[in-house]
Amino acid sequence: MSQRYRIRWTKEGRTRYISARDLTSVWERALRRADLPIAYSEGFTPHAKVSFPDALPVSYGSTGEYAELTFAAPITPERDIARLSSSLPDGMDILTYLEVPDGAPKLARMLRATLWELIWPPVDATELTDLLHRRSDELMASDAAPVIRHRPDGDRTIDVRPAMLAIDASTHPTAGGDARTVLRAVLRNDGPTVRPTDLHAALTRGDIAEPALNRRVAQGEHVPEGLREALSGAVDPLVLDVDAEAA
Amino acid sequence: MLGTVPDRRAPAVPPRGQRLDYRRPGAAGVAPASYWETIDPLLSQVRKPAQYVGGEHNQVASDWDASDTRWLLCYPDTYEVGQPNQGIQILYEILNERATALAERAYAPWIDMEALQREHGIPAFSLEHHRPLWAFDVFAVTLPHELGHTNLLNLLDLGSVPLRSAARSVDDPIVLVGGHAAYNPEPLAPFIDAAVMGDGEEVTLEVDDAIRTWKRIHLGDAQTPGPDAREDLLQRLAAVEGVYVPAFYEPRYYDDGRLRQTVSVKPGVPGRVPKRTVQDLEQWAYPRKQIVPMTETVHERFSVEIFRGCTRGCRFCQAGMITRPVRERRPETIQKLVEDGVRDTGFNEVGLLSLSSADHSAIGSVARDLADTYEGTTTSLSLPSTRVDAFNVTLSNELARNGRRTGLTFAPEAGSERMRAVINKMVSEADLLRTAETSFSEGWRHIKLYFMVGLPTEQDEDVLAIAELGIKAYEIARKYGKANKVTLSVGGFVPKPHTPFQWVAQDPPEEIRRKLSLIRHAIKAHGGLKLRTNDPEEGVIEGLLARGDRRVAPAVERAWELGARFDGWHEMPTLETWMQALEETGVSLERFSYRDRDENEALPWDHLDSGLEKSWLWEDWQDSLTEKDLDDCRWSACYDCGVCPGLSIDHDTGYTGGFQLPVLPQGLGGGSEDLPTAPERYASGS
Repeated sequence: MSQRYRIRWTKEGRTRYISARDLTSVWERALRRADLPIAYSEGFTPHAKVSFPDALPVSYGSTGEYAELTFAAPITPERDIARLSSSLPDGMDILTYLEVPDGAPKLARMLRATLWELIWPPVDATELTDLLHRRSDELMASDAAPVIRHRPDGDRTIDVRPAMLAIDASTHPTAGGDARTVLRAVLRNDGPTVRPTDLHAALTRGDIAEPALNRRVAQGEHVPEGLREALSGAVDPLVLDVDAEAA
Repeated sequence: MLGTVPDRRAPAVPPRGQRLDYRRPGAAGVAPASYWETIDPLLSQVRKPAQYVGGEHNQVASDWDASDTRWLLCYPDTYEVGQPNQGIQILYEILNERATALAERAYAPWIDMEALQREHGIPAFSLEHHRPLWAFDVFAVTLPHELGHTNLLNLLDLGSVPLRSAARSVDDPIVLVGGHAAYNPEPLAPFIDAAVMGDGEEVTLEVDDAIRTWKRIHLGDAQTPGPDAREDLLQRLAAVEGVYVPAFYEPRYYDDGRLRQTVSVKPGVPGRVPKRTVQDLEQWAYPRKQIVPMTETVHERFSVEIFRGCTRGCRFCQAGMITRPVRERRPETIQKLVEDGVRDTGFNEVGLLSLSSADHSAIGSVARDLADTYEGTTTSLSLPSTRVDAFNVTLSNELARNGRRTGLTFAPEAGSERMRAVINKMVSEADLLRTAETSFSEGWRHIKLYFMVGLPTEQDEDVLAIAELGIKAYEIARKYGKANKVTLSVGGFVPKPHTPFQWVAQDPPEEIRRKLSLIRHAIKAHGGLKLRTNDPEEGVIEGLLARGDRRVAPAVERAWELGARFDGWHEMPTLETWMQALEETGVSLERFSYRDRDENEALPWDHLDSGLEKSWLWEDWQDSLTEKDLDDCRWSACYDCGVCPGLSIDHDTGYTGGFQLPVLPQGLGGGSEDLPTAPERYASGS
């Protein structure tokens, strides 16, 4: 009797550099170390049944990765998922899990939008946040926002605007007593892929540096306050409560 | 531009003269800054960034000030190639098990990363804490082959350590090399402080003891070490059996440039440095906690060395000569190492390593028990080795129970019966063809045959015999299926020290190329028979560094200065750079590689004792000229090669009364179609 689980997991710290291609074996080995009855595909080179809805660019951080795991035998989720989480490399942790009933919609259909976070180093925070506010408003008011994506096989122009659901910048105190700018944006996952680098390209006119870190915060459904996370139903706000964070 | 990262300054490298506080033992030692914060933002600009991050399962990350001695273990190639190396993993584990020692790992940065490191002032670093090379007590580098020499120099330079031993002080690490190429470290003599000969387990701990004692005497508390402190350390190292300190020896030459002798010039250091031999592998059941990489490497599996040494007596094989005698691991130990290791690491492949894995006296039951254990699971078993004449297809079938019968590899090494007698590869054509017949009839679909050209006494007919053998094997393959394949993998022979062929002239690359084209031409009509070759020029640098003496060292340095790195990589053609370096430094390939040496000429490694009697090696070389074969001394009479006397052991000849097999498979279950590069070929060795 097979059992399917959907999980939300993190990819932070050193594990940000694991490529999508290497991820499968990292998970397969963690599952084997945790001694969980993961199901395998048929054939001569069987693969553990772990599927990921999409690939995160290498070096991006994330608290919003998802996976679907199929087990060949029932597991005790509260115990076994925790064991799996601790078998994963440092930086990868499982945050939430949900058993998938038969006939449930595909995972990708639950992940229609992504909350992204672009984080700048702690310099020019007030000025940068103001500028990003202005540019974001302009962008949201526009009909199209073409940017050029540079690729080894040639440049390509893509329109960022259709993917944009919401965007907001704010200034955050850092542990060191400085302040930094954080931009949050909810982008659609259906339609042509738009990444934080494209968003940055649409916002800068040669006057905004690349963020120090791009992070996928969560995925789910766009709601007026921000994003309703797919597995927990909790709402991640677009506008961070800066005061609460400082306290 | 708003939000620009303030110029991210790498922690400054303290000038030499101000590094003592980092080296002090225990709690007095100041931990050097980690470079992670500087490296992290640069990693999105480099190829395969995961190779620089560390953090793998089974990594050991100890506090700097909790240890007295600090080792940086290095494989001088990329992480991808070096990470699976057994030698490094063994030493990593046994050093880190010591409460007083700390060991971290380093690999050679690829050129894109090196450029960024130089631009941003990031030294060569460890993976565990991204600590700088210069701060460690020992920079211990394994040299499984000669093509990492320029990378070693590059790491020293990147690591802010003076290139030459003579320029180093108590502010600098001890640069220690080991591994098979350390059996002739002379081309590296000015750059290393010491070389370890032989098995590393015991001697590494003795070196660690010597350094700890020395540090207590010279670097304890707030002491300032005296001017002789470094010399004292080198002497303590030279006093450890199996440790060679090149600074204490000098080569003497004849007027015509031939080497007369290398003599010790320091009272009390031995005239010949003996290799170390671990007598009982059972006491060293390592590595147990193998590192599990988070990015692709050349061998991703849990590897167990099932025995060490080989007495087949193949005359070209340095590994088989210098790792004698044979010491086996007990079947129950192998079984336990595998079961615990597979559980601990999560690897889905097990490799049973040795120079000739089917020669383990209990391989039949080892293979059967493991195959039983993992039957019906997703764990697969492999038996990588290049040995021929010790195989049966039943054994391969046993190991491939869970998988598809794809490819088998055999290494006849030479095409004609005569040539195989010269190299002492005792397998007949009839045996080989019978093996091919059995393989294809039992459902295997592809066999790869490894050969060499450029062997001593080789004639064109011997070369053409490779093609003929390939064609015969291919005809057999076709009988059992139109899609069946045979691949001939042919490399150029490189003579190595401490072998019966150490005296012979190496073929220049043009000659190797000509011989390869003879084969290519001869098989042209047979479409399904494939030929894979290495670039013949690859062997030039390997051969020079293998048999060069100290006069080659300036060429190594010059080649590095001119930009030579990763000499074994197809992506990095460095031969032209080397040729320029040889010309500028007056080093002649004719002298070191392309001529026969005579019996009376001293060899650059004569003062390094692999246990083999030089007179026996010469005799065996003469025997090869008369095509006289020599039996494996495990099963026949001792022929006095010289290794065993003095060791309190005999060859292990088995727990089940011996088990003889005709040919040995390699890399069961398919694998890459490509001929491995030199770094790959050596990657799994210990």
